[in-house]
Parts: sequence; structure tokens; C-alpha cells
Amino acid sequence: MKFWDRVANIDRRWIYLMVAAAVFFPMIVVMKFPVELTPETRQLFNAIDSLPDSSVVMLTFDYYPSAMAETRPMSEAALRHMFSKNMKVVTLSNIPLGGPTIAESVTRAIAKEYGKVYGVDYVNLGYRANYVAVMHGLASSIESIFKSDFTGTSLKDLPLMDHVKNYRDIKFIFVVADNATIDYWISIVNAQYGVPVGGGVTAVVAPKMYAFVEARQLTGLLGGMKGAAEYEKMVKIAGSATRGMDSQSLVHLLIIFFVIVGNISFFITRRKDKGSA
Amino acid sequence: MRSTLPVMVAFISGIVMVISFFFNPERTFLGRLQDDILQWVTIVGGFTLVLGVFSIVRVNARAVARKSEGWFFKLMTVVSVLAMALPSILPTSVNSAFGKLFYAIFPASWGSLFGTGPGSIYDTLFIYVDSPMMETMFATLAFYIASAAYRAFRARSAEALLLLLTACLVMLWRIPMGEAFLRLFSDSLPDYINMYVMNGFNLSVQRGIIIGAALGIASMSLRILLGIERTYMGKG
Repeated sequence: MKFWDRVANIDRRWIYLMVAAAVFFPMIVVMKFPVELTPETRQLFNAIDSLPDSSVVMLTFDYYPSAMAETRPMSEAALRHMFSKNMKVVTLSNIPLGGPTIAESVTRAIAKEYGKVYGVDYVNLGYRANYVAVMHGLASSIESIFKSDFTGTSLKDLPLMDHVKNYRDIKFIFVVADNATIDYWISIVNAQYGVPVGGGVTAVVAPKMYAFVEARQLTGLLGGMKGAAEYEKMVKIAGSATRGMDSQSLVHLLIIFFVIVGNISFFITRRKDKGSA
Repeated sequence: MRSTLPVMVAFISGIVMVISFFFNPERTFLGRLQDDILQWVTIVGGFTLVLGVFSIVRVNARAVARKSEGWFFKLMTVVSVLAMALPSILPTSVNSAFGKLFYAIFPASWGSLFGTGPGSIYDTLFIYVDSPMMETMFATLAFYIASAAYRAFRARSAEALLLLLTACLVMLWRIPMGEAFLRLFSDSLPDYINMYVMNGFNLSVQRGIIIGAALGIASMSLRILLGIERTYMGKG
């Protein structure tokens, strides 16, 4: 078998091995390429940064554990930004599987770093079924949808919720999502109730969101791990997204290399087949 | 009646939601009605979750009882569902009637294990079992994508070549190393990719898809309201 035939029919396990090596190599050798900012990230950061200190903001954890590598750093960076400006944060999730638990663990950990008190500086509302109904319902009364928070404590017993009754009391909604819930935050909450919405989404969802950013229905956008790394850069922390960019860089380059080599072998072997036919 | 009643409920609920949208929920009866219906939707949504758990347990338990093919995995499914669901609905204190009954049988010190809070059984299973498994499944995609890049992404036509080149450019643009590489050719190249590819071609196509999907949703909603579309009742 000739060289290009062998290349064209390479065992996929070699490909898997190279991907694994590309992921692990940056964990041993730190590369640190500078992360450059996109206008969409700047827009989102500026929207939150320009809010008055102590504003009430909502942060959603609309993602499954599977997408945590991309979305969790966004939530963490957003919380750091909000708590550093002494904002009051209300979190919720529209994902039944894990969303509220992730919200709880992430929020409590970051709040502890900033000395924030549960119930006074932040509240985790948890999950309620049917996100379209939840989003509409929050417009008239948060208490009508969430009688209690994630831990079962009545909203009446949480001082923060004394003056947060509906969307009118919320200055900005930062949606971190890996699915279509962000479409509804835009089309229901922004379009119908006029609350500014910003988004952090997985790389797969991000291309769709550019249309909403352009229409100014979405105030800024973080796309995938790169978006999370950009936000980390803006809030001046080197989190897991910044560290993950090295692995992602190598894997992207490897995929581009595979595409090129695969196409070269395809053309050479095809020409040979045509010649021999 | 079995098909007329659901159609009537769908029609009335839908019409009420449409009309009440134009009324103030704080001052008008119709506006408040919208709130009430939305609360009902979340309650019904909660019951559908219970129904889902019941259904998955019933189907898999039947397969285990019959020892059909793969019964062991089905047993594991039932065990996993119960392991996550039961601790999360058990009472964490004696405040409720169920709590009083439960902690009359079991030690009250077990309370911290139940519920979904930090340190509970549910929380531990989620963090150490469920979450890593889901992340592993997602991470495996990277290996398949790399393999597909090698074998399937072929420039068989001019359109495919265009798609390949654009994909490679975007992949380069989305990594710091790639951005540095692109800037070797022109300092503005990454900005051009954002401007012309993401905010240009991509945006226009996405906008078309979004508008198309919205029109589809609107027409489907109308069909449901008018009782023309009845597939939600299991009928064609």
C-alpha cells in the first residue's frame, strides 16, 4: 500500500491519540497566548459595568452539566464582576437536570470569596417547570412562580426579595445557556417586557445569537470557551476558560491539520484511481 | 368528547392568553387571568416531570421483570432514577406532616442527607456521578469531530471548498494562537472575520432561519388554537 493510501485509511485510534495528546500537552507545557477581545464581549461587559453599584441583576444557569466546560467559567466570571460591584444577584435555572445544583455550588463558592450573605446579597430561586410560563410569570410577580427559594425558604423570609417583585426591579438579565432558552429570554423578556438581556452561550449556539446582537435585542454575547476567556480577561482573573484556551487552540489546529491532510490524501488517491481506471 | 374537550381547553386557554396580553395584570380581571393560567402551566409542568419518572420506571421495570435483552442496564436505569429522585423528595426536617412521620421512623440527624442542598445524597450523586458522566459524553464528541474532519470534510465541490475554508478560518479566529497567526498576514484579519463571516454571511442566514421558524411557530399555534392540529392528543 502506498503512502497516501495508508494516510487515507489511517486507523481512527491514531487520530484519537493525537487529540488526547493535544488536550493534555498544554497541561504540562503552559503556552499562554494572549486572548483578544471581540466587540460582543466588550458590549456585554460594558453593559454590566455601567450599571449603578448595588443594582439588582438576574443570572440564569440554563445549562446542563455536559456543557459546563464552556458555560461555568462564564457564570463564575459574571458573578465575580457583579459581586465586585456589590450588585444583588438573583439566580434561577430553567434546566431540571442539574441547573439549580450548579447554580447553588457556583454562587455559594464565589459569594464566599466576596463575603456576600445569602438572602441579603444573593438568592437562588431554583427551578420551576415550563420556562415560557416562568418567564411570563416573573413579569407580574416572582412570588407567584417561586413561592420559595432553592432550599425551600419562603421568599418572604429573604430580605433581598422584599424589594425584588418582578422584572421592573431587575436592571439586567445575564443568561448563561447551552440551549434554546436564551431565545425565549430574548423574545419574551427583552422584546415584551423591555428588560436588557445579555448572553453567554456555547460555541454551537453562538452563531445564531449574532442576529439578536445586531438587532440590539441581546446586549453582548460570549461565545463558547473563547467568550468565557475574554470575559475572564475583562474581569482580570485567570480562570478555567483562560487555562482551557491552550488545549482548545491545539485541538482546533489539529482539526484544521486533519482537514488539510484528509483532503490532500483524498485528491491524490482519487486521481490515482481515475488514472488506473 | 375525548377529543372535543382538549380542543376546547386549548382554544379557551390560548384565546385568553392572547387577549389578556393587552390588559394590565394589576388592574384587570383578564390580566390576572393570564397570571393564573401561567401558574397552572408551571404546576402541570411539574406533574409532567412526575409522569416522566413514573413512565421510565414502569417501562424499564417491566423489561427487567421479563428479563428481556439488556435487562441489566434497564435495572441500572431504574436504580439510578430512584437513587436521584427519592432523596430529593424526602423531607429534610420535621416541619411538614410527612416530615413528622418520616423522622418518627428514621433518626432526625439524617435530615441533612436529604433534599437537594449541599452535602445531600442527591448533591453527592450529582457532583461525583451524574455530572462527570454527562461531561464525558460531551467531551467524546471532540474525538469524533476530529475523526470526521479527517474522513468526511472533503472539498468535493466548489461549495464544499468554500464551506471548508470558512470553517477553518473561523476555527483559527476562535483561538488565541490562531488569532496571532492571522495577524501575521494582516492586523485586521480577525476583525474582518468577525465583521464579514459572523456578522455578515452567518447573520443573514441565521436571520432567515429565525424568521422562518417564527412563522412556522405562529402558524402551528394558530392550527392548535383552531383545533386543526391535534397531534398533541396522539392523533394525526
